[in-house]
Amino acid sequence: MGSRRLFLTTALGAIGAVLAFAAGWPVWRYLSPMEEPGEEERIALDREDVPLGVAHFFRFRGQPAVVLQSSPGVYYAFSAICTHLGCIVQWLPEQREFLCPCHAGRFSPDGRVLSGPPPRPLDSLPVTVVDNRLLIG
Amino acid sequence: MPKRIVDWLDLRLGIRDILEQNLTKYLLPRNINIWYTLGAVLLTLFALQFATGILLLIYYQPSPQEAFSSVQRIMNEIPYGWLLRNLHAVGSNLIVAVLLLHMLSALFMGSYKRPRELTWVSGFLLLNLSLGLCLTGYLLPWSQLSFWATTIATDAAGAIPLLGADLVGFLRGGTAVGEDTLGRFFALHVMGFPLLFGLLVAFHLFCVRRTGVSKPPFGPDYTPPKEHDRFHHEHHPGGIPFFPHYMAKEAGVISFFLALLVAITFFAPGLFIPPTANIPADPFVTPPGIKPEWYFLWAYQVLKIFPSELMGLAVQVVAMTLLALLPFIDRSPERRPARRPLFVALFICGIAIFVGLSIWGYFS
Repeated sequence: MGSRRLFLTTALGAIGAVLAFAAGWPVWRYLSPMEEPGEEERIALDREDVPLGVAHFFRFRGQPAVVLQSSPGVYYAFSAICTHLGCIVQWLPEQREFLCPCHAGRFSPDGRVLSGPPPRPLDSLPVTVVDNRLLIG
Repeated sequence: MPKRIVDWLDLRLGIRDILEQNLTKYLLPRNINIWYTLGAVLLTLFALQFATGILLLIYYQPSPQEAFSSVQRIMNEIPYGWLLRNLHAVGSNLIVAVLLLHMLSALFMGSYKRPRELTWVSGFLLLNLSLGLCLTGYLLPWSQLSFWATTIATDAAGAIPLLGADLVGFLRGGTAVGEDTLGRFFALHVMGFPLLFGLLVAFHLFCVRRTGVSKPPFGPDYTPPKEHDRFHHEHHPGGIPFFPHYMAKEAGVISFFLALLVAITFFAPGLFIPPTANIPADPFVTPPGIKPEWYFLWAYQVLKIFPSELMGLAVQVVAMTLLALLPFIDRSPERRPARRPLFVALFICGIAIFVGLSIWGYFS
């Protein structure tokens, strides 16, 4: 290939790449998910919303989460997303355990895996009791 | 690597033969001018409308409660949403301008004449379909401008005797512009019209390719082509190849129009988005001075200057019908403008009337 042709091909390729980036970047950003609330986000709940033995589901940092009062004054909060394949766990009050309806993964009230395919416990979230409020996150 | 891909495809589909027949060995007249490239410009602009339209659909909500706020969200919250929305809005205006130039060049050079009547008629339908796309798209942001411009545009159909009131109701999906109008305009804008449009573009291009490109009617060598009793493809021996010569010319003109589109989008985005487009629709308050888009101003003014709406509408229908049927009315084979003084005079008068009525409509 002659040097003139090589130069023109390279120049055209470079211009094409710049234009493709200029067109592609806005589209990429447009399609990218919007930023979720920051890592610092905390949620405050009334203690009355979480009676003994009841699981309260809520949205935390854009994803489903659950808080449970397993024994008087003892609260656990988790991401409600099963660690197996991402389904949302259910609370079974009679069995006092979480069940993933997709592949029957079972978790204890403190989030440990009891049986089934989940590879690790539910992701826990810090809970602080302040006066009559629960601060999560 | 590209050679290996072409080799692979060539073995299975004979692609080299197709490429040669349509690109390197497809010859065009040596004196072909830039006016012939406007079709390629339109294809590019329509492709861009299609792409930006699909992207806008991701966040747009077609309901009276959500439409306006979803467009505001696209403009103010979604990254680069303003860019895509403005490209779509400015692009639609640029397309109408290029469509008119494309039509005017075909008129001036007599390209609509036999054997290209079907190319002309399909092009004319494409122009009308594009205006339909503009009209239906105009309502979607559900702003005061959208709402009242659509109210006025659909109301004009009410002037048709006997059928008028039913037609208005059918267009709106009710007695007034509302949720059902938005639903049907949305369906037409994103699905109905684009499907029809795609089929018509395919037919238009088929006509162009099958009949062959007409020779520009200029220069001392030009002679009107012979009339044939049987199908005849117009060849141009000794002409320039479609690729690379003509495509380079097309690429230049396309780049110019893309630069214009981007320049307006960045430096004058409000040119086609007046203040009433930023106020949510209110069916109880008509804002003062609602005007249609620039390409409908002539029709708007015609409706105003005639004593009855029916007469105004009839004038428009007659004008558009004459234009659609022009190849069947003007049947002389002569295409050189210098030898068609009557046509050129009418052509100039037509442009002057269009521009004059539009300016009058703008200031009235």
